[in-house]
Amino acid sequence: MNMKRFASGIMATAALAALLAPTRATAEPTLAEEAAFQGAVARVAAAVVRIEPLALTAAAGAGVAEAAPGSGPSTGTIIAPGLVLTTSFAIPADVNDAVVVVPDGGRRAARVRSRDRSRGLVLLAVDGLPEPPPLGEVPRARLRPGQWAIAVGRGWSAAAPTVAVGIVSATNRAWGRGVQTDAAVSPVNYGGPLIDITGQVIGILAPLPAEPAGMTEGTELYDAGIGFAVPLEDILAVLPRLTTGESLDAGILGITYRSRDQINGEPVIGSVRQGSPAARAGLAPGDRIAVIDGHSITRVADARHAIGPKHAGDAVAVTVERTDATGKASRIEATTTLAAEMPPWRRAMIGVVADAEGDDAERGPVRIAWVLAGSPAEQAGITTGDAIESIVSGRNAGATAIEGRASAAGVLAGVEPGERITLSIRRDDAIREIEIDTIAMPGDVPTDGPPAASGGGDPLAGPLNAVEVVKLAGADIADPAVAVIPTGTGPVGVLVWAGIPHGKVAEAEAASWKAAAVRHGVAVVLVGSAEPAAWSRSDIAAVTRALAALHARRPIDATRIGIAGTGAGAAFAWMVAERLGPAAGGVALVEAALPQRAVVTPAEPAAGWWVLLGPGGDDAARDRVAADQRRLDKAGYPVGLMPQDDSDAPPAEILCRWVSVLGLL
Amino acid sequence: MKKGAKKGGEKSVRNLFCELPWLAMPAKAVSTSPTWKRFLTPFVIPFLILLITGIAVAAEPSPQEVIAHAARKVVKLYGAGGLSSLEGYQSGILVAPDGRIITVASTVLDSDEIDCVLDDGRRFVAKLVGIDPRRELAVLQIEAADLPAFAVMPEDEPSPPGTRIIALSNMFGVAVGDERVTAQRGVVAARVPLEARRGAAEAPFRGSVYVLDCTTNNPGSPGGAVINARGRLIGMLGKELRSTDSGIWLNYALPASELVAGSEAILTGTVATTPAADAPRFDPRLLGAILMPDLLDRTPPFVESIAPASPAARAGLRPDDLVIAVGPRSVTTRAAVEQALGVLAPGDPVKMTVIRAGTLVEIDLGPRPRGATP
Repeated sequence: MNMKRFASGIMATAALAALLAPTRATAEPTLAEEAAFQGAVARVAAAVVRIEPLALTAAAGAGVAEAAPGSGPSTGTIIAPGLVLTTSFAIPADVNDAVVVVPDGGRRAARVRSRDRSRGLVLLAVDGLPEPPPLGEVPRARLRPGQWAIAVGRGWSAAAPTVAVGIVSATNRAWGRGVQTDAAVSPVNYGGPLIDITGQVIGILAPLPAEPAGMTEGTELYDAGIGFAVPLEDILAVLPRLTTGESLDAGILGITYRSRDQINGEPVIGSVRQGSPAARAGLAPGDRIAVIDGHSITRVADARHAIGPKHAGDAVAVTVERTDATGKASRIEATTTLAAEMPPWRRAMIGVVADAEGDDAERGPVRIAWVLAGSPAEQAGITTGDAIESIVSGRNAGATAIEGRASAAGVLAGVEPGERITLSIRRDDAIREIEIDTIAMPGDVPTDGPPAASGGGDPLAGPLNAVEVVKLAGADIADPAVAVIPTGTGPVGVLVWAGIPHGKVAEAEAASWKAAAVRHGVAVVLVGSAEPAAWSRSDIAAVTRALAALHARRPIDATRIGIAGTGAGAAFAWMVAERLGPAAGGVALVEAALPQRAVVTPAEPAAGWWVLLGPGGDDAARDRVAADQRRLDKAGYPVGLMPQDDSDAPPAEILCRWVSVLGLL
Repeated sequence: MKKGAKKGGEKSVRNLFCELPWLAMPAKAVSTSPTWKRFLTPFVIPFLILLITGIAVAAEPSPQEVIAHAARKVVKLYGAGGLSSLEGYQSGILVAPDGRIITVASTVLDSDEIDCVLDDGRRFVAKLVGIDPRRELAVLQIEAADLPAFAVMPEDEPSPPGTRIIALSNMFGVAVGDERVTAQRGVVAARVPLEARRGAAEAPFRGSVYVLDCTTNNPGSPGGAVINARGRLIGMLGKELRSTDSGIWLNYALPASELVAGSEAILTGTVATTPAADAPRFDPRLLGAILMPDLLDRTPPFVESIAPASPAARAGLRPDDLVIAVGPRSVTTRAAVEQALGVLAPGDPVKMTVIRAGTLVEIDLGPRPRGATP
């Protein structure tokens, strides 16, 4: 054979092989991946245990057809000899015992040693735990979005750890508290480790709710492609304190922000709680935050990121810029220690309702639209048409110039009910100084309300002329809500009504709301339930979509949004209010008391709903309502009783009147 | 290219090479007729080497090849609508070349006409052969021949968590006509007994299923195929269900062993008709342990009193003990205790774990007596 030809033949063959090679090389990764996943899981499996809920804690959810937190087996990780770390999903706040199932199947009794409430973690002391394998730690700084992340749990079965595979999506989420992954994180593996492809631990999986814990607890994100883990390095930093039995809370500074945009808004302080770390540091409403702990702050989100990961007891250094009434600017630096909680905040008021502001209204002195009969404002001689230009309260050095309703509310939020304040009022081109003693916000609905400012509709002419009934339809809405909207163009208050669930809501149901809607200038939104006989979590999203659809038709007055419901709709109304948070001005539970699983967090300036309850059909119901009234009052909420109403129709008149005064200052 | 290595293809290969300018062969050498053997001989050995290597490497097919091969065996089924009349479609798996199909037993099959569309777009009318109500499995038949089909076999050993899987189904009905069904990639998350419900009703199947780390609980997915990296069928996608314990949506598949057992039962007419939910219960009073009566549906299983001189008294069970496990099974209600005891055969040791004043205590009640149901 000719060597030259042979060599050429080899070359040609090699060229052909090179063309074929790519389709072969990709075969290898799949089996190598499997082996890598299983090897990584095997490295931590001995540290992953199953947590079984005790029957005592499995309470039935009243009328809401979704999983309630704390109901179902979950996972824990052996973090140190005799200690298992798990989440508050497995061990809710009122529970102190649990059962731990170790990998060989044996059961052990466990007691709660301490909690890190800022991250929803619970440390359990367990007798007879096997020696834990050493957990490799991945430093947060080394994490890269895109790298493998495997979520390990034992929620399905004690026998073998469950595997969910994904990547690290982001390294600094949940206001600094968590690493984000797209591996399927759910109640099945909360409390288990999130590991990298070598079996080292990135963090412990936990539901990290963005907003303060309510009934839904952040567990609804489980199949959305988003999950969080608390970095192991953060846990180990506080483990010595947790081991001694010291529970940790999120650190509170005691301020709210003036801007309604809690992400990109200007970092200007809206209110400062009395007695808070911010007050001790000398911060005041109107101050602009410039620096926190050396990080420069340009928007509200920066400030929240700086304070978010901190615990109560941690120190924080804040620098603010202050411009006083004469226009002089100064820079103030202060260091203070964050607190665990504030005493319940009670809303102080003078008894006026301000003109409704649209989204792009100019922010200046607040014009008064209505004065409550018998209130301090009426007694001081304030009348409709007066404009509040500035307020002097006990603690700020000079007068705070009022720029829009939110700034007035902010100043009042820092005032204790009963405290005296001085208002600068402009009336007929003259300025007067008026002193007023504030009082606490009343709980019951006043007998009279502000006239409808919607610019249309004389109620005596018949509701048909003055109101329209529409379906709030949209591209992605299957069953649109029905809205009763008084005619006109100005901003309206909104009442969301959730009655006894019966599926889709019919336009005919709007009839009983028309007169009240017109009289008080309130739009009423009637929502339907997806399931024929129960409210469920997906209906909450339907409510927010309905509000967005309404706002697209007619601007909503953000200070007058009320949620109300009766029967199973009352518990649903509470859940909607929790979801809306400070966006909701009030929640009314008609003929009902608080839902069984309701968590009542102490009221705050940004989140203190006006709650209406009851009245209650029989003695037992009335007792429950009374007990819940005391509970809410203790937490600082203005709470009132609905009047007795024996008719079957919904209490349209009183609820619409209530919504029209939700923005009471 | 493998064809080129066989002798019959030599001529075409030679022509190909004559036309390629980069080959270091002077054209003259090729035109001489008797030297065609000399021309090709240097290629034969390398081609044989390539062929052998190719066969060896082909033992690990690429994911694309696996999907292409397997997707031809998944069919799109259309029938009667459900309540919302949006979900009158699902997926099915060809298990025999003559057109036998397995799928989930659902309201889609309630139609007089079940339409079956193959991967290549051919339409058939499918006949319902039978249903296994406990496994919620159905067998259909279409009139065809020589169709690509899975060889469904019971598993030698179950696929462990972490095993790569590909789910093939017509999720959301996006594939129509001759469009290929949708492929999704994931891993096996766990293999556990199914405890799930649809709305308020409990699912009848109690055997083990594969829980998947893959979002497969979509309209149209039930009846789809779950294959491993080598293209072997390891399960069939189940119906949209929620876990009873945690309320979360379950992505799961009925394992191949169950598919074999269920379709055999259907074809031989030996389908079990008693629902598994009617498993016999055993009253713990027969052991002397009187539990608190069921006031609510979920009364915790506290011990109210102990009958004197009973197995429970001798074992040291006491009033106010809270039963948390019978053997390895955790129990949270009185009904669960009775069911767990009912699963034991007469003579099996009865062991309970209870909580007493914050500590776990193991109680051995001796052999389970023959008992009447309450």
